[in-house]
Amino acid sequence: MHVLLVDDEEELASALAERLNMRDIETDWVTSCDGALEKVISTTYDLAVLDMKMPKMNGLELKARLQERSPQLKFIFVTGYVSEMDFEQVACQAGEECYLVKPVDINLLIERMNDLMGHPGGES
Amino acid sequence: MKRDPDPIGDAGLQFFGRMSASISHELKNALAIIKENAGLLDDYVAMMGKGTPIDPQRFQTIAQRIDGQTRRADTIIKDLNQFAHSVDNSSKPVDLNNILELLVALHRRPAAMMQVSLEPRPADSAVVITTAPFLLLNALGLILAFAFKTVPAEAVVTIAVRMDSSEAEICFGGLKALADLSTDQFPGDHENALLTVLDAKAIINAAHCQIIVRLPLPQ
Repeated sequence: MHVLLVDDEEELASALAERLNMRDIETDWVTSCDGALEKVISTTYDLAVLDMKMPKMNGLELKARLQERSPQLKFIFVTGYVSEMDFEQVACQAGEECYLVKPVDINLLIERMNDLMGHPGGES
Repeated sequence: MKRDPDPIGDAGLQFFGRMSASISHELKNALAIIKENAGLLDDYVAMMGKGTPIDPQRFQTIAQRIDGQTRRADTIIKDLNQFAHSVDNSSKPVDLNNILELLVALHRRPAAMMQVSLEPRPADSAVVITTAPFLLLNALGLILAFAFKTVPAEAVVTIAVRMDSSEAEICFGGLKALADLSTDQFPGDHENALLTVLDAKAIINAAHCQIIVRLPLPQ
């Protein structure tokens, strides 16, 4: 599985990517929407993990732009929305997408990744 | 529910909610970074336990990140506490330089989301006026939110505190598209109500790309 991680918090993106790489999930990270759009031109990814709230465009807008360039991509959104109401509001906007709330549990993230990629047993 | 119009109360609640949401987001980010880096430390320790040598510099880098983010969270909480206490007094002497510092601290994240930088320019010495600190922050916050609409991405909005013999002023500068916006967009009902109760005036100087808020000095 090849993953692209997008979060404007560099110290978060780099640490999470390093932890995923340690678990044999090949992960690249960028801190901007423009960076993500450039990355998918040169590299084929299976899955993108997107922060919901970033400068320039939100996670849903970035998803639409990434899908134009890389239609096979699957998505997981990470959000700092703290209240249940906020979370539901955003989740509703995106339909059946997969959401996790910050701070993210890495085991839960990997479980969601495997579910989305059709590897429920954890094969990556 | 029926109630009398209360533009100042409504503006205040909305402002408090907006700021609280923004601050809690930033706090969440700091906590998420701390958690991820603590997890990374755990991973390295587990690797060492299995005999993989780890460069001690890696531990130092992660510890520094955790320390930095803890300081960041502490600063955010201090700003939140100061903001919460701004409602304590309906009128008290305040230094506009301190108000400027808090205003900028509260709006760093909203500004970053708009890809705008804030450049505070405090006065050389204290500029003390007697006012309602929360209402003043609210009025300045609304003006700043409007200011964000008048600049392109990557722009710098300056906020300067100044004083002459009779008035203090806070000047929002660098508002490049101010002249392009229709004059009926600003000030709105909330801004007008707050400016009136603060005995303040907002002056739009489109030629110089500025909005200037004038406040009376104590007699």
